Amino acid sequence: MNGHPSSRLLWFISGSIGLITLPHAWHVPPLLIGFFGLAWLWRLLAISRPDWLPNRLALFGLTLAGIGLVYSQHRGIFGRDAGTALFVVALGLKLLEIQGKRDVYVIVYLAFIVAATQFLYEESILMALYIVLVCAVLLATLITQNSVSPQTVPALKTAATLILQSLPIAMVLFVLFPRLEAPRWSWLDADNQAKSGLSDTLEPGSITELSLSPELVFRVKFDGDLPPPAQRYWRGPVYSLFDGSAWKAAPALFRAANPDQPTFSGKTYDYTLLMEPQKQNWVFALELPSAFSAGLRRNELYQLTTNKDPGDRAEYRISSTPVYNTGDINPAESRENLQLPGKPSEQIRDLIAQLRGGETSPEVLIANLMQHFHRENFRYTLNPEPMPERPVDTFLFERRAGFCSHYATAFVYLLRAAEIPARVVGGYQGGRFNTLGGFLEIRQADAHAWAEVWLDGKGWVRFDPTAAIAPERIEQSVNVDLQIASGALNFSPIQLDAKTLTWLQRSRQLWQNVDYQWQRWVINYDTANQQALLQSLGIDDFVKLGYWLVLSVGGLGGLLAWRLLRPNRRRRDPVLLAYRQFCDKLRQAGVDFGPGDGPQTLAQRAKIARPDLADPIERIAAVFIRLRYEPCTAAEDLQVLKTLVRGLRV
Amino acid sequence: MNTAALSLPDRFRLSRFFLGEAPAAGPITLGHRRIFILPTQRGLGFVLLILLLLLIGFVYSNNLAYLLGFLLASIFFVAILHSFKALAGLIVRAGRQPAVFAGQAGAFNFQISNPGRLSRFAVQLHLQTELTISLAPAETQTATLYQATVRRGWLQPQTLTVSSLYPLGLFRAWAPLRFDSPLLVYPKPAKRQLPFPQSDDGAVAEGQSRRQGDEFYGLRPYQRGDAIRQIHWKTFAKGQGVFSKQYAGAGSSELWLDYQQAPGHNREERLSQLCRWIIDAEKAGLRYGLVLPNLRLQPDTGAAHYRQCLQALALF
Repeated sequence: MNGHPSSRLLWFISGSIGLITLPHAWHVPPLLIGFFGLAWLWRLLAISRPDWLPNRLALFGLTLAGIGLVYSQHRGIFGRDAGTALFVVALGLKLLEIQGKRDVYVIVYLAFIVAATQFLYEESILMALYIVLVCAVLLATLITQNSVSPQTVPALKTAATLILQSLPIAMVLFVLFPRLEAPRWSWLDADNQAKSGLSDTLEPGSITELSLSPELVFRVKFDGDLPPPAQRYWRGPVYSLFDGSAWKAAPALFRAANPDQPTFSGKTYDYTLLMEPQKQNWVFALELPSAFSAGLRRNELYQLTTNKDPGDRAEYRISSTPVYNTGDINPAESRENLQLPGKPSEQIRDLIAQLRGGETSPEVLIANLMQHFHRENFRYTLNPEPMPERPVDTFLFERRAGFCSHYATAFVYLLRAAEIPARVVGGYQGGRFNTLGGFLEIRQADAHAWAEVWLDGKGWVRFDPTAAIAPERIEQSVNVDLQIASGALNFSPIQLDAKTLTWLQRSRQLWQNVDYQWQRWVINYDTANQQALLQSLGIDDFVKLGYWLVLSVGGLGGLLAWRLLRPNRRRRDPVLLAYRQFCDKLRQAGVDFGPGDGPQTLAQRAKIARPDLADPIERIAAVFIRLRYEPCTAAEDLQVLKTLVRGLRV
Repeated sequence: MNTAALSLPDRFRLSRFFLGEAPAAGPITLGHRRIFILPTQRGLGFVLLILLLLLIGFVYSNNLAYLLGFLLASIFFVAILHSFKALAGLIVRAGRQPAVFAGQAGAFNFQISNPGRLSRFAVQLHLQTELTISLAPAETQTATLYQATVRRGWLQPQTLTVSSLYPLGLFRAWAPLRFDSPLLVYPKPAKRQLPFPQSDDGAVAEGQSRRQGDEFYGLRPYQRGDAIRQIHWKTFAKGQGVFSKQYAGAGSSELWLDYQQAPGHNREERLSQLCRWIIDAEKAGLRYGLVLPNLRLQPDTGAAHYRQCLQALALF
């Protein structure tokens, strides 16, 4: 047992270590993963040729090289990336030095740590399943190590059994174990990866990029009815500064606080919003949020922001009321929303005069402008030709082809030129409904831009000029897959009827639902979730939590112990089993007998009730008596009995 | 010995924890009363690993790292049950123990049966030597373990420790078992080859001369009790049967080995010398009798007589 590990054990170790490190190949620098790969190959080759392994001196040199490599790639050994790389390199080096039992344990424990670091990069359900499978192989390695005559399949089976038996307790611990908010240490922080999404500048091109991204932005589960598609505006950043080609959000510093709070009326929608990791701390609430969970803030632009790290997935409870009145506008805000880069052109002023038709009411102008877009051959396209010079004029009078941000830009520009406060709002529109999970999925491809106009007595009112050109964009959601496949915009009706879904769509919805639940209940289970759950269970202090932990873990452990440790049951007597089958058949045949009747009595009664079966019944009774009550019986008799009973047709 | 004078570690060492139950004559079934389980060093390492994983989960607020930590913690817990299962139900009984001379390693035989449908993949047996076996379902194996012998007389086996690290090596389950199954230890034979003592009828000289002269006079069919040395291997090799060589005058005179006449400064040395003579006499195929202060065994030869004489010495 001691001394050098067997080659079976080495295969087990190399296999499981290879599997555990494989997913790291996508984010550990190639140089380091190459270093590990070489060590791994070396180990694999050395299984049959142990003399090829490096000696102490060479190993020391390799260790120095490994540390040097980690340092050169990461400038340190702390933090997520450097730490992960360090463990991967250590694992590779340790592979080359497996002398005795102790080294096997060290390497398996290192592998478990590497498995955990994998979760810092990917938290999907598939990755979790993969890691659990590899953990089974790691456990099988330990089992092989501790068996006298190891066998591969029983070791793997035992490992799988161990994991399955452990899962219930692990889940109870997961739910009940107190989650504490960790302090954020900058040196341990994950490096922010580039994430797509809306930015605080709106250039016409930026939304096109998003339109081709199937990346999930957030998911929403409504408590009651869904809002109709035309009301599904998920409000994000508000852009009020225009430089002629791009929009910017006004810096908060100069923003005047609006004394008026919005007033709400009509139906309110309550929902849970699960945000995916983002760059910005914006939360895209349904227009307009009237109540929301702690940690969220509604700014003067009625946009929700979070004080949590937007790089983490987070869940929020929000109520929105689509009918609202934001009240009065103050002079500073009015000025801000009338800003224009330079003077509008003659052509634009003519257009405004034409659209006004002598009326002064902004509503008339807006209605006419929408009509204008609708009538004058404007087109909706995701691939408009670039308009570098005077984009608004070019768009309005020459090209007449663009997408939401072009229309919103032109719309707001015209209104501002007509001295009506207006601004562009970014966000998402629509979303795909998952019928199985009952939630809406909003993807980057649903990114949208629209306009808001301040009207006297109504406050800020939403207008979506895109609806005038491509109402299907608003009424029907974007068909993300088609759009991405063709690189152009596509709409398809939302299929709410589950019967018309193909099995492929249905299984995809099922999968997305599983993923949603996984994100909500596993990945996103945090202090707040836990407190809510524990409170609903009536656990409000640590003492009670302690009781619950001890009782549930103890209870599950006791149950498992009872299952595992009860004495081995004897095998049921096959003779009695066959006889019982025989009795059942007779009962079916309508023979009346009591539980105390012996085989002979039974046979007598059966023969009277079913004279047609007299012969087989008699034979069965005879064989049974012989098997059961004679000291020495031939082994074939049991077979005869079974065949006879099976052959008995009642 | 006064119990109060024992230090705590000593008392601990003498407790049921290490010595086990009172020695048993019959088979012992391992159950919850017999089996102890404690984590090994590697098990403690595993606890550190779990803490590290939970720390990763905490620092990065990563629920899956937490979950992995909880899974390993739960496996740690479940491993206790499996450790118990690795030993529970095993039936151990002590077998027949052959006698040995003092100073030789005493061989103790134990029978381990595995009833039920579970395989036992690694059962370690420890007396003074160690043996690891695996048992298929319903299999019984005999394990021979050795223990050093020093003094003549009955020797009880020390505590037999049946232990297992299966499945993960995180816990060691062990059961200390004591058996009432003594082994007979004969005195240590003296090293010196002294001449046989003088008998009343002056047979020693004869015996000696015959032993050295090898006056072979014929073969007779092998009888139980004939010394192995007497077997005529040539005829056996030819397949003609087993024959014993007969020496002239063998059995005609008797050798008396008397405690009083044995040289030595004390009782043990004398017994040692007698032991040596009995071995030599048996090897030479002589008829010998033994006289101890409390016992007189009539001259005879053969294995049964030989054993009887040595037992008398062992238990004197």
